[in-house]
Amino acid sequence: MKKNSIKYLVLVVVILNLLMISGCYEHFPLKQDISRTQNEFFNQDSNKVKFPELTKGKITLMAMVYTHCPDICPMTTHNMQLIESKLTKDDLEKVRFVVITFDPNRDTPEVLKKFAEIRDIDFSRWSFLSGDERNTKEVMLKFDIKAVPADSSYDVKGNLSYYIVHTDRLSLIDQNGLLRKNYVGSIADVDEVVNDIKYLLE
Amino acid sequence: MKLVFLALLIFISSPDETIKIKDPWVRISAEGQSTALFMKIENNSDVADTLYKAECDFAGRVEIHETYQKDDMMGMREVPFVVIPAKSTFELKPRSHHIMVIKLKKDIKKGSQEEFTLHFKRAGKITIKAKADEMQMNKMEHKH
Repeated sequence: MKKNSIKYLVLVVVILNLLMISGCYEHFPLKQDISRTQNEFFNQDSNKVKFPELTKGKITLMAMVYTHCPDICPMTTHNMQLIESKLTKDDLEKVRFVVITFDPNRDTPEVLKKFAEIRDIDFSRWSFLSGDERNTKEVMLKFDIKAVPADSSYDVKGNLSYYIVHTDRLSLIDQNGLLRKNYVGSIADVDEVVNDIKYLLE
Repeated sequence: MKLVFLALLIFISSPDETIKIKDPWVRISAEGQSTALFMKIENNSDVADTLYKAECDFAGRVEIHETYQKDDMMGMREVPFVVIPAKSTFELKPRSHHIMVIKLKKDIKKGSQEEFTLHFKRAGKITIKAKADEMQMNKMEHKH
């Protein structure tokens, strides 16, 4: 009887420990180091930068988009702006916003800059990056983002126009370069992301 | 008598309002890029109507599109038309059907009013002005 009680007690202690350990990590579903390798891009001013080194030590919200997208990608970008608007000035000192194109052939730094400027984006906190195929694909692989050219057509002048089927994602990276959480970018719950950022800032 | 005649004339020549366009808005975008037009199309008649074409003079091309989801990926494709059933409202909205406005010839800045012409099989041509705005995300459903 006593032996059984000890066994029972040990089991309870083990379960409690497991609950405590899982409790420490349950706020974020991911803990993936994305800072071990760097990729080269050009920012909106055509300056060479490395990502994620670009936002080292800061909390980073990152999305991959293409500017020919009239719906999902502008929604994701706008969500990032809404998140920015809900953070305090002090919070924003420690947060950066990165948008990388998965359509670099069309989305040159100049095109990305126009996309951002029409939205009154503050380049002191935001970077819009365009890279070559290798660097773009490496980042896509790292963040498990897919983008596949789909329906295409030629206009009257013979210019190729194509759309891209792509992952709809917004990623949160902590101050230590760890990917902590992904959201559905175009319909992300802005308050949820803001709370997650504030949790990382604590 | 003259007044009655005038009233009758106005009644006869008034545009067919069986189709009403409500809350049209176009997403802000930059020259050379694309954007989308959204609205609610209210069909008050007893028969279905079809939107089959949209036009504006500040874009290279205007098409009717739908956004679709495949697993965790989003895409869009052209559709030839949208049908608005009798006595119902069809909404062109983000993440769904929209009027795709390709290769803008000018910037679409927040607050501007942009003119579009919509072509319906029964109601004919309807010209609208859409206000340029960004997505109001808080109005969207967040559950997924």
